[in-house]
Amino acid sequence: MTEAVESSHDDILLELEDIHMYFGKVHALEGISLKVKRGEIHSIIGPNGAGKTVMMNCINGLYHPQKGNIRFKGQNINGLKPYQRSQMGIARTFQKVEVFGGMTVLDNIRLGRHNHYRSGILSGAIYVGKTAREEIEHRAFIEEEIIDLLEIEHIRHKPVGMLPYGLQKRVELGRALALKPDLLILDEPLAGLNLEEVEDMARFILDVNEEERWKVTCLLVEHDMGVVMDLSDRVFVLNFGNMIMDGTPTEVQNNPEVIKAYLGEEDLYATRR
Amino acid sequence: MSTTWLPCGEYHQSYKEDHAWFQTTFIKGKMILLGLILFIFIPRFADSYWLSVCNQIGYTVLGALGVQLLIGFCGQITLGHAAFVAVGAYTSTLLILEFPWPRFILDIGLAYPISILIAAVVAGLWSVIFGLPSARVKGFYLILTTMAAQFITVDFIITQYISQIGGRGQAFSLPPGTIKIGPWIIDSDLKVYYMMLVLTILCITALANLLRSRAGRAWVAIRDNDISAEVMGINIIKYKLLAFFVAGFIGGIAGAFWISNLAAISPEHFQWFWSLWLVGVILIGGVGSIHGAIFGSVFMVVVLELLQLAVIPLADEYPKLLMDFLFIKEATFGLAICAFMIFEPNGLAYRWWQVKNYFNLWPFSY
Repeated sequence: MTEAVESSHDDILLELEDIHMYFGKVHALEGISLKVKRGEIHSIIGPNGAGKTVMMNCINGLYHPQKGNIRFKGQNINGLKPYQRSQMGIARTFQKVEVFGGMTVLDNIRLGRHNHYRSGILSGAIYVGKTAREEIEHRAFIEEEIIDLLEIEHIRHKPVGMLPYGLQKRVELGRALALKPDLLILDEPLAGLNLEEVEDMARFILDVNEEERWKVTCLLVEHDMGVVMDLSDRVFVLNFGNMIMDGTPTEVQNNPEVIKAYLGEEDLYATRR
Repeated sequence: MSTTWLPCGEYHQSYKEDHAWFQTTFIKGKMILLGLILFIFIPRFADSYWLSVCNQIGYTVLGALGVQLLIGFCGQITLGHAAFVAVGAYTSTLLILEFPWPRFILDIGLAYPISILIAAVVAGLWSVIFGLPSARVKGFYLILTTMAAQFITVDFIITQYISQIGGRGQAFSLPPGTIKIGPWIIDSDLKVYYMMLVLTILCITALANLLRSRAGRAWVAIRDNDISAEVMGINIIKYKLLAFFVAGFIGGIAGAFWISNLAAISPEHFQWFWSLWLVGVILIGGVGSIHGAIFGSVFMVVVLELLQLAVIPLADEYPKLLMDFLFIKEATFGLAICAFMIFEPNGLAYRWWQVKNYFNLWPFSY
């Protein structure tokens, strides 16, 4: 019995336990619990203002919940700062793209690999030798694994601020991937994209989730039901700080409460099709 | 903005080529020409007056580099950089005057170079102390805390206490022969000029290298978007303080260098106006570019010298012009900044980039 518990515990990458988050008198999250298994795509859906982004901010440390525990790889990360959590392997993209507009695409992605670089200011100032070797080594990784995957070869030297929105979203995904994360938080990766870009983005997410050398667990916040139901292994439904249910896409689609709170009476697959 | 243009049809074959400083033969030739002008042409043909103008430019570049790093690359607005230059200058002076150097170090002329290094580190650490508020405050509030650095350091500590050391009164005069590097006693404008060149090139190279490695990218990321920088794994406080350290370090080098050009140093050389001046220099040159610090310094120093040359012949007719030259200087400074803010907010560096861009693949640049 205990063995079974331990092995299932190993399987769980991220665990939220009874999270409470208040802003003054507003209860953004009221006792949320969530378990994300390694290797899954776990989606979080809910109406606007349900607290999805607050939940993401709690997971990567921008907010500190007043009550509750967050465990990552079995370790309690409540007190850790965002950069420490990213060192443990949590990367994220933002709902409103938060790229570094003045840097080139390549520099944005290099910045995502910050944790993997080792040079300090002294060797950086001298550059010749250690830092130069390191830059080339990581450049090879970035070119072969990320730029190639995301098909952004043609813009690698362009400042990101001058790119169209869809490409900025793609660069942001690349920057998060450069961290080589274990858990990738995608906060509305498809918002504001056209149909073709949505299809590309969905393919990238599936690629990094399934390919042997990535195997990234994804936590996906999204409004596009068609994509969510197709991609996800599990779906978590949130409504004004409360969990409605957590189950497989089929279970969620057939749950009357979910339909009432969020999906509405229409056919789910009506969107985007 | 940072990419170099390759001739049509030429491509890099390796990452190493793509990471190189001077990527084409044309650029290499251009840099060799620049080196020849700086190291041979100017010292040979410029008289003592224009050499001292060059030294003034070099000093401004060294000061402006630190400001450029803080404001232009790390987004931490500072109005107290003269304090760190002053710390560098005073540390170096005190070390030369008061420190019991062993005989052999004095003989081989290492006292001054060592004091430059120590002055740079002390100024860097001093800068970190006043960078600490940046962990909590941003923007306008940070301007005030850095101004506090200026007033606490220069007007209070240096004027009230440091200047009293040795009982010399307000100004520390450096006896001839004390500023000595190796076998050379730095006593002429030409020697100061060479020293300025070496230090400026070293500092520019180091800063440019930093900006294309890990720390520099972290600084720019903090400038552009500090929240996502932190989420991507950057320890923001550490990198802000590192930026303050490096800026103070370069400021300290500037101060320690400048004492070689001054007969005596006193707090008047490091007034708050000098901090403001350095910020103006990078605004004119272009924020967020090393070229900007250089172009801005050249522009400001040369324009003021030309202004002075223009005023001197007029002084017979209007003696008040010469008497009030300080005010004319400040008015020009203000006017230049206004003009640049309105007509070229990206500064001279952007104009330079536009020119290069225009001549790329010229005359068929489409």
